[in-house]
Amino acid sequence: MPIPCRRCCVKNAVLKRPKTGDALCKECFFWAFETEIHYTITKAELFNKGDSVAIAASGGKDSTVLAHVMKTLNQQYNYGLNLMLLSIDEGITGYRDDSLETVKQNRDDYEMPLKILSYKDLYGWTMDEIVAQIGRKNNCTFCGVFRRQALDRGAALLGVKCIATGHNADDIAETVLMNVLRGDIARLKRCTAITTGSEGTIPRVKPLKYTYEKEIVMYAHYKKLVYFSTECVFAPNAYRGHARALLKDMEKVRPSCIMDIIYSGETMSVKEQVTLPTQGICTRCKFVSSQEVCKACVLLEGLNKGLPRLGIGKSSKAKRMLEEYNSKQVNGTDLLADAVNDLNDVDLDKSNKIDSKKKECCGNIDTTCNKNKSNCCGGTGKCNNQHSSAVHENGGNQKLNSLLEQYELDESSNIQDTLHPESNGANASDNSDGEYSKEEEDDTCSSSCGKMGSLQIGF
Amino acid sequence: MICKKCDSPKTVVLRQKDFYCDECFMISTNHKFRACLGKNKILAPNEKVLICLSGGVSSSVLLDLIQYGISLENTKKLRIVPFFIHIFDVESKTATDFILEQCKKYNFNVYMVHLSDYLNTSCQLPEQNCIPEVNCDVANQFHSMQNSMPPTARNDLLLTIKRTLFIKYAKLLQCNIVFTAETSNTLAIKLLCNLAVGRGSQVQNDIGFSDTRDEKVRIIRPMRDISKEELDYYIKIKQLYPICNSSINNTNSLQSVIASFVFDLQENFQSTISTVCKTADKIGVCADRTLGKCLICESNFNDVNFKLSALEATSISRTVSFANISSNHNTDLSNIFKNDSHTAVFPLVHKYLCYGCSRIHSEMKRSTLPPHLQIL
Repeated sequence: MPIPCRRCCVKNAVLKRPKTGDALCKECFFWAFETEIHYTITKAELFNKGDSVAIAASGGKDSTVLAHVMKTLNQQYNYGLNLMLLSIDEGITGYRDDSLETVKQNRDDYEMPLKILSYKDLYGWTMDEIVAQIGRKNNCTFCGVFRRQALDRGAALLGVKCIATGHNADDIAETVLMNVLRGDIARLKRCTAITTGSEGTIPRVKPLKYTYEKEIVMYAHYKKLVYFSTECVFAPNAYRGHARALLKDMEKVRPSCIMDIIYSGETMSVKEQVTLPTQGICTRCKFVSSQEVCKACVLLEGLNKGLPRLGIGKSSKAKRMLEEYNSKQVNGTDLLADAVNDLNDVDLDKSNKIDSKKKECCGNIDTTCNKNKSNCCGGTGKCNNQHSSAVHENGGNQKLNSLLEQYELDESSNIQDTLHPESNGANASDNSDGEYSKEEEDDTCSSSCGKMGSLQIGF
Repeated sequence: MICKKCDSPKTVVLRQKDFYCDECFMISTNHKFRACLGKNKILAPNEKVLICLSGGVSSSVLLDLIQYGISLENTKKLRIVPFFIHIFDVESKTATDFILEQCKKYNFNVYMVHLSDYLNTSCQLPEQNCIPEVNCDVANQFHSMQNSMPPTARNDLLLTIKRTLFIKYAKLLQCNIVFTAETSNTLAIKLLCNLAVGRGSQVQNDIGFSDTRDEKVRIIRPMRDISKEELDYYIKIKQLYPICNSSINNTNSLQSVIASFVFDLQENFQSTISTVCKTADKIGVCADRTLGKCLICESNFNDVNFKLSALEATSISRTVSFANISSNHNTDLSNIFKNDSHTAVFPLVHKYLCYGCSRIHSEMKRSTLPPHLQIL
């Protein structure tokens, strides 16, 4: 029995919205989805007319949908924004190299300029190399910390007024839960803000803050957007995974709980007597930091000194490790005094080195970007083919199928079958719960590794 | 393996690494209870205190701790005048009998009150130490109200109902203080539940040391530093035999999902519960009483002055999904459904109800509301 669309009552509904339970047809869903984001952007005053805005693009569903919707709304409502894409290449073979091809596809589809910065150029290390040093655990810390700063660097290079990231409602609710479980009151306070960034830094905005992940997947599916849906190959046992698993279980019981958790986070106030860290700038690299030396510099120093675990865990531990390291280097009798002196020297040394490295990087960036540009135009057609098949093969569709089964209304299930003949019959029913939970378990990293600027995670 | 405090052999292992002997363990648990009351300085000498009993593990320990405190004859004597109350539901006949038996053993008097008393407007103290007659009509009305709600909302409302009853009877007995037996485990779960139903701004009153929403009566949680693990040792050593009860027994509610999640995570990360409770201590409350308060849970309303909130975003979602909205982009979407309680996702929010209670209200049958809420 087809259910009529709640809004137009002419066509049959294709999906039930998880946020409010209303059934809508495809056209009305598009309109509602875009109008909501438009409302968020205008009500929260995310942009000013004439601004240049960098969209942090990973090639995943969130950033692809964000780029698409931003372009649509910019034209429709005449925001007057100058949109561009900004990508970070972490250097993860089998993951980021493929997803960057999708971003390049987005660049061509949406006619936006694209800038790619790589960890190799910025920090001298790729994630592959870092994982070889640190192992499979804690590597998300490096990735998250470096990406946060890399985005700031990229935005500065592009000269944009703000960075738009693809964080959706699920991500934010998950971050609230994680910060409660970790007892991180400072992040708990700021993680629900729609605009983040202190004075003097480039602000980040989250236009998809109130948009459910499920609707983003549906929107991308019905609009036939090309996106990359493989999990990061370093998907670790990140603590975030626990919060994510909890949220998914809760969502099944009461879908509205995602918005409720965000509301809780927004209205929660921290007691006055609690001291919170103040955000300043790193004395070395001059980027935003709540410590004297930012986490990115500490992690990088650890890598360069062969002490990859330097930035993992407490700062007192880091100090001890540095002292031990220095005392080994000195071989003198008055070890401690030397070590302390040395620490200061090294600090100076390092900052010089980093400065010179930075210059070097900037040069590299330009060349790589040019290279990318020249490379890609030829390969577009091929990319397109590759990607539509890649999306089909790599299991992203299992998630979509199960979503469709949950939220798509009966009437259109045959459409789904014709779309994906391989999931017909017995497969289709198998797809539901078992597959879904498996997919979720693999999903632990997507917020920290799978997309841009997850600034709440990691360190 | 020997006790951390004295050198006797260990009998108690806490957090998989701390060893105690029975005696040192009992001293430390008793101290936690007394320290929690002592450092907050809320008890005047001979303060009348209403103590809430459920018959479960934590309530049995609370009863025992109080009995011990009162029985002391030195400077450490717990100087309170205790009154006891047990709130029961029809199905829990075993619990009522157990409580009566338990209180008889300690030589305390107890008042038994049925949950459906929430719907009664009359204020009368029941007879002590016996199960009162329950008005079938009222009980049925109460149950049909409960059954009209999904499990999550039902559990959420149940906590508010109990709180309301505690305060009602505390006032009848002229107690200014109420003790509940919530442990750190219960409170960690309660914090996450609060977040999950949009009550983040009410955390201080719902999880903190004291609930000060009522102007006269304060609800105190003196067992908040004691964990379930410690309670289990306590009842084993003291040979108490509580009945197993759990207020969260629906398998398909947010509360049950959270409870099992916290239990599992605590197994692997021993500091989970204490971390969550520490976080709760740092969360404050909206102090602005001028905004008005919720008719159901008595929490102050949140400041609605920020640019955009999840409440508004949800309302917009409903608005744009609704039939009679044209595609005219110039309409001010925010005001269309504000006052229509049949279509709005959050009926009466910030006028009579807080966000969480408004959500509950939208999920229950209106006709079954208690008299003082019928105006809604």
